[in-house]
Amino acid sequence: MKKLCTFLARGGLPVLLLLLTYTTSYAQTKTITGTVTGSPDGTPLAGVTVTAKGTTTAVQTDASGKFSITVPSNVTTLVFTSVGYQMQEVAIGSNTDLQVTLTTSASSLEDVVVVGYGTQKRKEVTAAVATVKAEEFNQGGVRSPLDLIQGKVAGLTITRTQGNNPNSGADIQLRGVTSLSGSRAPLIVIDGIPGGNLDLLQQDDIESFDVLKDGSAAAIYGTRANGGVIIITTKKGRSGEPRYDYNLYVQREVVAKKPDVLSPEEYLQMPLAKDYGSRTNVYDMLIDKSNLSHYHNFAASGGNAKANYRASVYYNQANPIAIRNGRTQYGGRLNINQRGLQDRLQLQVNLATNFNKADLLGGNGGDFEQAIQRNPTAPIFNPDGTYLETDAFNNYNPIARLNQELNERDQQTLSGDARATLTLIDGLRVSAFGALVRNTYNDRTYRLKASRSSQQSYQGGGYASKSNYLSLDRIFETTVDYERRIGEHSLNAIAGYSYQYGTVETFGVSNNGFLTDAFLDWNMGAGNAIRNTLLPAPGISSFKEDNTLIAFFGRINYAFKQKYMAQFVLRHEGSSRFGANNKWGNFPAVSVGWMISEEPFMQQYQWINSLKLRAGYGVTGNQGIPNYQSLVTLSTGGFYLQDGVWFQTYGPSRNPNPDLRWEKKKEWNIGVDFSVLGNRLGGAIDVYTRRTEDLLSNYNAQQPPFVLTTLFTNVGTITSRGVEVLLTAVPVRTKDFSWNIDLTWNSQYNELTSISNDLYKIDRLEFGGLPSPGNLGNSIRVVEGGRIGDFYGKRFAGFTDDGKWLFYKKDGTKATAGQMNNEDLTVIGNGVPRYMASLTSNFKYKNFDLTLFFRGKFDYDILNTQELYFGNKGWSPNNMLRTVLTRHAQLNDAPQYSDYYLEPGGFVKLDNITLGYAIPVKTVYIRNLRVYATGRNVATFTRYSGLDPELQDTGFNTGIDSRGFYPRTLSLTFGLQVGF
Amino acid sequence: MKKLQPIRIIGLLTALFAFSTCTKLDEKIYSAVSQTNFYNNRQEVMAAVLRPFTHARAWATMQDRHGYWRLQELTADQQAWPQKGRHGYDGAQWIRQHYHEWTVTDRAIEEPWELIYWGIGFCNNTIRDLTDLDFTRIGMTEEEKASIIAETKVIRAWHYLKLMDLYGNIPIVTTVGEPANPPTRPRAEVFAFIEQELKDNVDLLPNLEPSLVGRVSKAAGYAMLAELYLNAEVWTGTPRWDDCIAACDKIINGECGGLNGPPALDTSILAPFSVTNHKSTENLFQIAYDYRASGDAPGYPAVFWHYRQRQIYNADRDGNNEWVVTPNAFDSYKDNDLRKQEWFLIGLQKKHPALRDPNNPADSIVLGTEEYANQPLVFVNNIRRNSEGENGEGGMTRGEENSGARFNKYRPGQVTDPDYLGNDFVVYRLTEIYFNKAEALMRKNNGVATQEAVDLINACRKRAFTDADWPTEAYTTSTLTMEELLAERGREFIFEGKRRSDMIRFGTFTTASWWDHQPSNPDKALFPIPQKQLAINPALKQNKGYD
Repeated sequence: MKKLCTFLARGGLPVLLLLLTYTTSYAQTKTITGTVTGSPDGTPLAGVTVTAKGTTTAVQTDASGKFSITVPSNVTTLVFTSVGYQMQEVAIGSNTDLQVTLTTSASSLEDVVVVGYGTQKRKEVTAAVATVKAEEFNQGGVRSPLDLIQGKVAGLTITRTQGNNPNSGADIQLRGVTSLSGSRAPLIVIDGIPGGNLDLLQQDDIESFDVLKDGSAAAIYGTRANGGVIIITTKKGRSGEPRYDYNLYVQREVVAKKPDVLSPEEYLQMPLAKDYGSRTNVYDMLIDKSNLSHYHNFAASGGNAKANYRASVYYNQANPIAIRNGRTQYGGRLNINQRGLQDRLQLQVNLATNFNKADLLGGNGGDFEQAIQRNPTAPIFNPDGTYLETDAFNNYNPIARLNQELNERDQQTLSGDARATLTLIDGLRVSAFGALVRNTYNDRTYRLKASRSSQQSYQGGGYASKSNYLSLDRIFETTVDYERRIGEHSLNAIAGYSYQYGTVETFGVSNNGFLTDAFLDWNMGAGNAIRNTLLPAPGISSFKEDNTLIAFFGRINYAFKQKYMAQFVLRHEGSSRFGANNKWGNFPAVSVGWMISEEPFMQQYQWINSLKLRAGYGVTGNQGIPNYQSLVTLSTGGFYLQDGVWFQTYGPSRNPNPDLRWEKKKEWNIGVDFSVLGNRLGGAIDVYTRRTEDLLSNYNAQQPPFVLTTLFTNVGTITSRGVEVLLTAVPVRTKDFSWNIDLTWNSQYNELTSISNDLYKIDRLEFGGLPSPGNLGNSIRVVEGGRIGDFYGKRFAGFTDDGKWLFYKKDGTKATAGQMNNEDLTVIGNGVPRYMASLTSNFKYKNFDLTLFFRGKFDYDILNTQELYFGNKGWSPNNMLRTVLTRHAQLNDAPQYSDYYLEPGGFVKLDNITLGYAIPVKTVYIRNLRVYATGRNVATFTRYSGLDPELQDTGFNTGIDSRGFYPRTLSLTFGLQVGF
Repeated sequence: MKKLQPIRIIGLLTALFAFSTCTKLDEKIYSAVSQTNFYNNRQEVMAAVLRPFTHARAWATMQDRHGYWRLQELTADQQAWPQKGRHGYDGAQWIRQHYHEWTVTDRAIEEPWELIYWGIGFCNNTIRDLTDLDFTRIGMTEEEKASIIAETKVIRAWHYLKLMDLYGNIPIVTTVGEPANPPTRPRAEVFAFIEQELKDNVDLLPNLEPSLVGRVSKAAGYAMLAELYLNAEVWTGTPRWDDCIAACDKIINGECGGLNGPPALDTSILAPFSVTNHKSTENLFQIAYDYRASGDAPGYPAVFWHYRQRQIYNADRDGNNEWVVTPNAFDSYKDNDLRKQEWFLIGLQKKHPALRDPNNPADSIVLGTEEYANQPLVFVNNIRRNSEGENGEGGMTRGEENSGARFNKYRPGQVTDPDYLGNDFVVYRLTEIYFNKAEALMRKNNGVATQEAVDLINACRKRAFTDADWPTEAYTTSTLTMEELLAERGREFIFEGKRRSDMIRFGTFTTASWWDHQPSNPDKALFPIPQKQLAINPALKQNKGYD
């Protein structure tokens, strides 16, 4: 209760600020007109943004490069920005008709970079920060906003293991693995809301992504920054003529590669095959051949220099490749900006919502596994109209499941934030920020009385469940920032306080024993299981947890002659999740920059436009662990008889650890930013080495005397090092034709340096458990000093004459599977790509634009578990892959995990090809009109024989191609963008 | 613009940070309880006292996980978990157990240690919390306090007894968290600790009565003492036959109570294991189960049942087709032994009548899913690739889905029964006390049966034969040899998690051959201290032969 009260009191702060009175006076305005042309050929530039400096007033130039802007009379400077050109500031003076020439730029030194609690110009940045702006986003339909920058940031891995399944997220990881048990994904900050919800972002509402890569950049976010920070900035209101933008796309998908299984005739030649008499391709039945997704986003913006807005609404229906696997979503985003008190008070309010309804039933791996292995002669239905269930181990009829069950999620997400910034004296501002993020969903399931699940587990009485989830994050932050320039010294400092309180509540019920299917899950009480103890017990559960995060932080940026730059950051942060002795931690960082190209001795090298050297060191933390891990709690341990009545038992559920503390990452980063040859070639190179210490995990505890086997504590170190390269080039730029190239490349090496200290120790970490049958164990093992992602297993030595496995023993001799033991196993491969690269080529010819985007990952191995199980004759009476007749024809033994099933995994994908055409329109009603077509996942070049070589490569379960594989698709998108 | 006065700036900044001083980081627990707000009434106290009992399900009973019970059976001569085609290889761990080639990093070695010490931790925690608790405040008496602390100490002693059986030399800890690195104690010292704990507390326990089913009563306590003394020669080098006999007599004479008057051998060979076995007159200590009331079912279906076994019983689950009976174990029963007929599934398997299609006689057969997919499921008394035409003894990698006779000693009833899957797991039953006493008498008598010993064994054995067969099947002092006693013990207690200890006591565990097993070496009578524990506790010492 107290927390709520203080939170409300804090929310009152903006009101307090408003109570301080000022006299207001009506502002005078003036109108400036002009023409913008491009250097060197002097062609008029359309679409250049002209902003009155210090305000949000902005207009764009028309097709002939002309503009007209009305600004407050106190504005003295206009700022001209356009993609591909250097930003230019022009003093207005007495001239009201300006002729402005912009020079091309590949280095974008004046671009604004969002760095957390503030912005910097690109040339001032001393840490490793990558920026991707809307113009550079991947085009076409995306499910997660992060798809927009997949492959665009060197070192940022974004992998969609579920393909285009609209109900799955992307796996995100920056610069390798940073935690064993804690969260490994970067912190997402949306318009200043840390931990913002990605569902609230629509592709057309996003202005830019800024990725804080190294420790010196990320330290300002303290205990949550080990995985890096991704700052997402949405489009905001701007003054000027009311503008409307409408974006539309429709998307169609086809399966990129289908598994090659035995035909019914081939299958019937196999031992144990049974002919049910039909010819059925279940895989094709799981595919929605008429899939079509569409997306609409409509935005309106306008206002004046004092008050402006942007509002957008969207509607999206995602019908992916799999049946019973859809998502419909709609919502809106509203931004309002206001200036008052003689421009001393700035107020910004954002509201965003997302309503979505997801069909979660289809698209799961199990269905596709069944589709491969189902007897191809088995019809879907028995003659009597019931579903035909084949009898082999772990079989079920996936079509029956999809037709007889229901699994839906109805979700609403909402965020609202407000920021008031008051300029006290020139250069000194105070700001208060409050935000609420609420995420709630209701899940519902029902299984018909006739369904397999109902028949097998609920005595044919159907099964219904409902559950609710509610999370609510409340954030309050205050900052004071000060900017001062004295001669050749410039100083920028910010100090702040941050408070975040989050709760999660869940509730769920289930019941069975229904008389009729008529209610589905809408009459839970009608199930007999609540009275009939002979039926499986109905379920009921509820749960709540909370956590608090409090921080004090500061940052100082100092620059001398704009040549020597330094940044100091300190965040002092406490999290409720840690032990009583270690709630608080300090996260310092320092980085320096040297603009070498500004030095006199560099002036002789005319071909160097800019050259900057950066170096930084920063400490960040990770508090992404479950709540209450430091406390001993008593939890339920099952029912036992107490004087004739069955009661729950209670016992300790955790070993206590009052010393539990955050994971700590220390990172060095050295980088170079450069731009040469008339800004035709630019880029950045970063080299980093990072060391994450005090890894949180469950370590073996001395047992006895501890009650439980493990203690959640801080032991161990992961180190990674890598190189990241970004190159941008403009090989051709003429009046009608331009060609831009962006290249990213990175290498990374992750090593588990230690998993022990004086007290605690794990001798190995194992991952990648292989599925039944056979319980072949874990396929990945990491040991101290070992590389993360190492496959660990037997070495294939051939087959015996009768097709039995032979493996190498430790001593080099050959032996059968039954004679192998732990000592014979060794590292046989690695599933983490060593190198990743992407290449974007962007061509513009007159009104046409063409983008080719290639993406690749290199030097890793894939464990092909589809071959391991489905490629084995022993899989009969199930259907098998055709390789049982070819590649594995000699094999006649039970499945065994060994390097026999490891394949090289490197690939290059033509991931995106987009052709656009800006239709010239001669009407005053339409500002711009563009149509485009995008193909995604168009071609894959690889040696890997499986369906797709791009598998999970984040975390620890890397490089395993699982049996149930959501189909990867080639998608074709047609889009329309119109502004009026 | 009007300039702000400095005083206003200071005032504003002060106001700003006045709001910014909350630094409280307490965690509020909503969905669990902590020690500080628990133990407010009798039921809460008992909820902690009974926690080790539900935990013991994991390691002491028939479960699909590495516990005491599984190690006792899979390393001995009656059960095996052979590879059956693509199923059951499981990293060759079952093969290693059968061959006595386990390693210090096998989960089968690590997990029983963890689970049993975990249970000891629950006991230590409860004893500490209850010792400090003012019982009168919560309406309980000092006598009740003494009794439930005694019960907790006795069940803790039982944990140590089983740990000592597996690992021999182990640390003794009675306080949570202390000492940080408890040292290994020699087995004789552990034995003395267990004996003292039992002797000090057993007589504080109540006599067994129906309301105490599933609990540690005086009957359970003396059964533990009987087991301790029976194995004393193996565990300490010093035989304690008279102490064993005395402990058995306490129970046999009815001084410790029973579930239905004084304990008596059940007349039925199935009743002690049935879904209503909480009423069996011979059961002395069982881990209680009631699937309907608690939602927890015993673990035997997963271990023993075939992938289609639900059809045999009309049950709501199938098994993992894991364990099979070794041919030598099945062959040790004579055909007229009712235990052979009742406790096993062999031959053609038929669906439960409730599941048959009355209009389709062919529908009465259970079909296989693997080597015998879509063919009748026929359990055979051999473990070899019959589908590939193999003859002979087969082996651990040569199994098929229908290999071996199957477990049918505990039966689930039908899914529609009120007591479905309600079988308590029997830890001690009177039959074992009879066998213990008879064995002690014989060993005291230089391995020769006395009439009293023969009478005790015959009283148990008689239930397994028809009256017509009995005259030829009854033992005499000359036919009940030590070898025969071990064989009969095996026949009687098959599946009950006792075989390894019995074989060790009779000297055959590491010296005998059976089915696919060759003699190992004497050090294998103890399991190694898990490498994982040695790595974090420098005060632990590895057992002989595993260095």
